[in-house]
Amino acid sequence: MGKVVYAAAMSHVLYPDYYGKNVGPHGRRMVEELIAVVRDMGRDMLAARPDALVVIADDHLNVFSFDAIPAMCVRIGRSVQRMVQDDAIEFDRALDGLPERYPLHEDLANRVLEQGMEAGFDFAASWSAPLDHAFLSPVSTLCGAEPVPPLVPFWVNCFIAPQPTARRCFAAGRHIARVVAEGPWRVAVIATGGLSHFPGLSLARVGTSDTAFDRRLVSLMEAGDHEPLCALTMKDLDESGSHEFLNWMVLVGAVSPARARVRFFGEMGRIDLAALEWALP
Amino acid sequence: MSRYEVNVLLYRLKKDQAFRARFRDDPRGALAAAELTEEEREAFIRWDSRRLNELGGSLHLLISIPGLSGY
Repeated sequence: MGKVVYAAAMSHVLYPDYYGKNVGPHGRRMVEELIAVVRDMGRDMLAARPDALVVIADDHLNVFSFDAIPAMCVRIGRSVQRMVQDDAIEFDRALDGLPERYPLHEDLANRVLEQGMEAGFDFAASWSAPLDHAFLSPVSTLCGAEPVPPLVPFWVNCFIAPQPTARRCFAAGRHIARVVAEGPWRVAVIATGGLSHFPGLSLARVGTSDTAFDRRLVSLMEAGDHEPLCALTMKDLDESGSHEFLNWMVLVGAVSPARARVRFFGEMGRIDLAALEWALP
Repeated sequence: MSRYEVNVLLYRLKKDQAFRARFRDDPRGALAAAELTEEEREAFIRWDSRRLNELGGSLHLLISIPGLSGY
């Protein structure tokens, strides 16, 4: 019988130069502190000997275009490439120097997709989508010099309206937990992104965050009180700038009713950086 | 409302190096075939990123186009 052996969520621009440029020394120091915490979390993750690593993250219009935006998408196939962006700027440069290709856990990804369709989740499937910083910045930080476990990349549309609801994301996480439980593998699951930044997706509001909103989310995750999280609306998440919490909702669904433990919370001004782990039975 | 067209152009500016170079050299010419309102077209030509964002342009595209991402 399979098991989720490690679960965590964390911010995903783990790139000091980005915050150094856009926030200054205070931002650089804070993300360096977060990177140290995530590296430590990675040691715990790898000590749990996962056969696969499910990564729940969002696209930033790097992979999907306005031709079609899937609400949720499973990456299938045998391997996945790192996104390549010519003249990459800012957070896209977090990928510089990383390996160009990563193994996928084909069997688990296929089960998430196929059993999801049978269960009523109309997941999209991609055989070719590359991974941007939302996936690879946390994965490379967690794993350091160690081999990266075979990945199951899972995209959630966090930014292009209409997004899936928080409750639907939670349900998708429950589905992933069922698939893992029915399989033979030890599985680590991480969600990435956030917390609050870019409220309203308004250029005029870049540089602000809603820390009170995020502290409430964190308190609810610490308490294992997941119903108020499922009741969050896209308006709540858009106004606060916590769009990427939809990724976290998939993870919360996968581990519910487990409680979270805060490993890092930092109020930078431009963004609330966070890293949480879940205590699993 | 041509929010789709605005974002298709922003996406192309991010991903298509040759189009980006043509836009830098001659923004009006590069946009000649685009189905934009006059307000949208002028916002592109002036590279008024805040206005483009208010007109529906994706924030993530506006802040990640090489050479044009200042705001």
